[in-house]
Amino acid sequence: MKLLMFLTLFLTLLSSEDKYSSGLKPTKKGVAPVNNALYINECGSCHFAYQPGLLPANAWEKMMGNLENHFDTDASLSQEDFITISNYLKQNSAEKNMDYKRSSRIVNSLKGRQIPDSISQTPYMIEKHNEIRPSLITQKEVKGIFNCIACHTTADKGIYSERDIHIPNFGRWKD
Amino acid sequence: MKIVFYLLLTVSLSFGTVLDDYLANLSKEVKSKNSNFEGFDAKRGEVIFTSTHKGKKGEMISCVSCHNNDLTQSGKNSFTGKVIEPLSPKANPARLTEAKTIDKWLRRNFNDVYNREGTAQEQGDVLTYILSKD
Repeated sequence: MKLLMFLTLFLTLLSSEDKYSSGLKPTKKGVAPVNNALYINECGSCHFAYQPGLLPANAWEKMMGNLENHFDTDASLSQEDFITISNYLKQNSAEKNMDYKRSSRIVNSLKGRQIPDSISQTPYMIEKHNEIRPSLITQKEVKGIFNCIACHTTADKGIYSERDIHIPNFGRWKD
Repeated sequence: MKIVFYLLLTVSLSFGTVLDDYLANLSKEVKSKNSNFEGFDAKRGEVIFTSTHKGKKGEMISCVSCHNNDLTQSGKNSFTGKVIEPLSPKANPARLTEAKTIDKWLRRNFNDVYNREGTAQEQGDVLTYILSKD
């Protein structure tokens, strides 16, 4: 039984966690929390206010360049708010937060790949969620992989630890 | 004479709400193109608000899809599930208090539901409808 536990632990370590760790070990868990009121107000009025450290600057720039068609919704901003939010995303993007574990993993998973269109399209995110039954993701309490806070109960604090996961109509998630 | 004019203007501006001014501007815009315009109408606004259209996502939606039929209650973004505070200023005093925010949501939401921007008359009608509900 103990052997099985260690084997599971070993295999877990070999998965995406380890694959995307680089030489420098991140000293902080999760991602840096959001600390911009305008960003929370503007972006967070329609969806979870994703931490800027979840995507590199070039991906945020790509997204901000097409707000009129933001996932087929008009999310256009006034010129002044657009500038403030673009700067906030750029200055706090993932590659500027490599001391945070999740930012570092995301950046490393993107090496040599094209600029992602969304956080959920980064290889790290895809791999971290690939064992979850699709019906649990599409159920009405969640709606899609974009809805972090539906299962990651501490996502608003930038913490995505396994022990804080609670999937609606399923319960706690253990790898 | 000029002083009296400015005095009256100041008094009237300080009494008018942001929304009154907003509607007055829209009304001026409509009148400049249509001299027969007789004012905004909550009934027309209701049709704009509750009728279903092929939206920007290619799905059939209406304003009600996210805002609810009862504007004193909160709604839910039908795509993301995020809660939307009530649209009625009677239930949610923070609503319709800032011209910039009214601009933004009228632009975005007409595009989302109608796949085009709303005309000045449509915008005025729909605002009048929202105000008529309590």
